[in-house]
Amino acid sequence: MEISGALLPAIPAQGAGVGTSGQLALTVLMGVFLVAVFLALTRAEDWRTYTPLAGGGYGESGHHVRHKPEGITRWLTTVDHKDIGMLYGLYAIVAFVWGGLAVLLMRTELFTPSMDVLGAVAGGTNAGNALYNGLLTSHGITMLFLFGTPIIAAFSNYFVPLLIGADDMAFPRINAIAFWLLPPGALLIWAGFFVPGLAPAQTSWTMYTPLSAEQAGFGADLMILGLHLTGVSATMGAINFIATIFTERGKNVNWANLDIFSWTILTQSGLILFAFPLLGSALIMLLLDRNFGTAFFAVDGGSPILWQHLFWFFGHPEVYILVLPPMGIVSYVLPRFSGRKLFGFKFVVYSTLAIGVLSFGVWAHHMFSTGIDPRIRASFMAVSLAIAIPSAVKTFNWITTMWNGKLRLTAPMLFCIGFISNFIIGGVTGVFLAAIPIDLVLHDTYYVVGHFHYIVMGAIAFAVFAGLYYWYPIFTGRMYQRSLAKWHFWSTMIGTNLTFFAMLLLGYNEMPRRYSTYAFNADWAPLQTVELLHQAATLGAFILAFGQIIWLVNFVQSWYEGPEVDGDPWGLRDTSLYGREFEWHERRLQTAVTDGGEEDEVATDGGVDETAAEEAVADEQSDE
Amino acid sequence: MATEESDDHGGHHLPAVEDWPRGFGEASWWPFVTAIGGAGFYIGAALFLLGTGEQPLIGSMVGPAVFIASTVVFLVGLYGWLYHAFIVDFWGGEATEHGSPGLRMAMILFLGTEVATFGAGFIYYFFIRAGAWPPAGAELPHLVGSLVLINTALLVASSFTLHYAHVALLNDNRSRFIGLLVATLVLGTIFIGGQVYEYYEFIVGENFTITEGVFGSAFYGLTGLHGLHVTLGAVLIGIVLIRALFGQYSSERHTSVSTVSMYWHFVDVVWIFLVVVLYVGAEFTI
Ligand code: HEM
Ligand SMILES: [Cu+2]
Repeated sequence: MEISGALLPAIPAQGAGVGTSGQLALTVLMGVFLVAVFLALTRAEDWRTYTPLAGGGYGESGHHVRHKPEGITRWLTTVDHKDIGMLYGLYAIVAFVWGGLAVLLMRTELFTPSMDVLGAVAGGTNAGNALYNGLLTSHGITMLFLFGTPIIAAFSNYFVPLLIGADDMAFPRINAIAFWLLPPGALLIWAGFFVPGLAPAQTSWTMYTPLSAEQAGFGADLMILGLHLTGVSATMGAINFIATIFTERGKNVNWANLDIFSWTILTQSGLILFAFPLLGSALIMLLLDRNFGTAFFAVDGGSPILWQHLFWFFGHPEVYILVLPPMGIVSYVLPRFSGRKLFGFKFVVYSTLAIGVLSFGVWAHHMFSTGIDPRIRASFMAVSLAIAIPSAVKTFNWITTMWNGKLRLTAPMLFCIGFISNFIIGGVTGVFLAAIPIDLVLHDTYYVVGHFHYIVMGAIAFAVFAGLYYWYPIFTGRMYQRSLAKWHFWSTMIGTNLTFFAMLLLGYNEMPRRYSTYAFNADWAPLQTVELLHQAATLGAFILAFGQIIWLVNFVQSWYEGPEVDGDPWGLRDTSLYGREFEWHERRLQTAVTDGGEEDEVATDGGVDETAAEEAVADEQSDE
Repeated sequence: MATEESDDHGGHHLPAVEDWPRGFGEASWWPFVTAIGGAGFYIGAALFLLGTGEQPLIGSMVGPAVFIASTVVFLVGLYGWLYHAFIVDFWGGEATEHGSPGLRMAMILFLGTEVATFGAGFIYYFFIRAGAWPPAGAELPHLVGSLVLINTALLVASSFTLHYAHVALLNDNRSRFIGLLVATLVLGTIFIGGQVYEYYEFIVGENFTITEGVFGSAFYGLTGLHGLHVTLGAVLIGIVLIRALFGQYSSERHTSVSTVSMYWHFVDVVWIFLVVVLYVGAEFTI
């Protein structure tokens, strides 16, 4: 009962004028009602059909065992890593849509130098600026914490146990808890937009003090709480992955033949372990500063510089938290369409570990212009340049893998190649920014925005698409429409490069970032060039949006109508590149056939062949 | 049902055989319930904030009410989860070779995250301690007194009692095991009482509060965080004690005794570090 009764007061709370006791009674009533409806739903749809089976036990009914209820109950109660992976994926895509819409509004505003569109939407120039700032903040936070981290968790949940031959995650229930903390986290983070009376946070994703400590409006408080919650979830996930990879590997999986994707997940989880809890504490300190008069980041207290140190000590590892697993996906998928093994596997692993370690030693490159001690600055510059080396090692390994290979330009392969190309531009601009003299000129300009979007959009999102296309047959049992996938690739590739290359040029033209207008005097700066470049960036953003619509349509439609695939949709069975996850997929299909088409996950995850293992169990039992 | 099912299904270890909803093997309501309760803490805190300030948006009791309701939900979820995961089939299930290394490892990893959690607070303290001292405008309270020394002694003693409780269990000395567990719990509880008393002395007696300035933030931030951890530790020891009273644990099956005691030792070490740098370190300048 308490569940929804507890959550509801948020809604009637608006009309603070009405008698409180009346409201409370109403709230409780609503809560009871909702719980009743909910229970009725789960019962009617699922439990009735399955009660007979529930008593049946495994022995008698053989293969016809359902391990899960059906309908919505299945998804709310699942502790199966594959289902949880799907939930993460759905969640991330919803977040991706919101983050994308937010940025489309911003780009529309930036099409012209003055405050037009958002001003009209929000009613007035100031309100328009506030809306722009709110959208900017929400876009950044959403894309990094609600899209980036969860979409990676979607892949890792689904595939790490399959790839290492484990039954499931080490802690399946904790896995489910970690996921279910995320939706409430998103509600808190977005509350500023949809709950009237709460101004959206306008702090930008970096939440620099004193702005973030002093900004009025509860939207920022709720966002901080939501971020903390999602951080707890990410940390629980990380502990689970490390424990899984260490203790749940199958008999024939060892450190020497652990796949590259699991390696990157392992490293990423290690980074999360230290980065997210530290951010969590810093967020709580910020919340206390905002509401309880503490002095953690006050100008005459711990100082805003301390916030920047803590934030970027988290923030820089965070970018590698986001990019390492996508690199793992590319390292995993690319060889399968090059007809060759990954070149220099060992060195790809070593460079992953090196990046993991070094990424904690470069945070102050975000603070070169804050006036910190020049000696500290120089050492951070050195480490930042050094981290380019392992990144380059990976890049050369990918290129060498393709060299002289038999390339097959399928959609996942195209996205892998696009990843490499964009990652090179993003990486090289990063090396420039790591050089203090250059950074002092380009800091806080669009050059920075262009740089990190070449990575987050051009690389991370591309690798995500490569993974989604490559494993689409496993997720759905069907194949996507290939021509639409190519349309998706090319519009994403062109849109990304148009948008973000224009941003690099905007940076060279000294266009500062985070401004909603740029109606400056043309005598001071090349206004015409800047305007043209902004228009190019906006055009690119819309091309991108167009491509993503194609992708969504393709995925949804193919899910229902795509041609069904066998266990080897990529024609890899006779090579050494046929992965464990497809072996499992094939086993699942076979069991489904012998079962008379029952598609419910009957195949097991473990490395053992199902029927053989069952016989073994039967033998054991008869021995007793 | 339990015995045949709790094990393998075709080489596949089903994670949730004995659970609610019954009879599936890969379905459990508890994670969902627990997560709703856990998220409810945050929503309660958010609603509490909405009820503060010049123009509160909602009544000031809504937040606390949601918070309390969430605690109930959370505890129910936690109970169901732990019960079905570890207790219902304790002698057949809890991890001799299968889950035990994983659980121990998870605790070590969790303690790693705790280092980062406390780290942020200590970094803040070192940041201000390196500046002008004592901080301008504020008077430090009287920090190093008999109270803190006694409290430290109690907490250190409790680490020993817990350790020897574990040893007693390994030697199959049950009554000694339970006795020392009780002693640990009592010592921990007195420690928490001592901390509360110290807060009372500072806030009411010396008028030294969390808004007192840079040191106030550090002191209440760090001791508060630590106090929460001791409280959680006491709850965990309480759970272990109850399970022990119900006859669980043996020299072969003691995973949660050892994970809880790892946690308790960790919290103890943090306290010693905290006393050295925050209490002694603030009062004395070299
Ligand atoms: C769909 C294509 C995308 C476009 C057109 C786009 C465009 C933009 C623009 C215009 C800004 C704000 C510029 C400003 O006013 O300062 C921005 C900020 C940001 N974007 Fe994107 N973005 C896209 C995708 C992504 C993705 C996939 C991620 C993350 C995985 C991401 C992460 C961020 C972050 C973190 C910020 C805030 C940066 C800051 O202000 O410090 N974006 N983006
Ligand atoms: Cu960085």
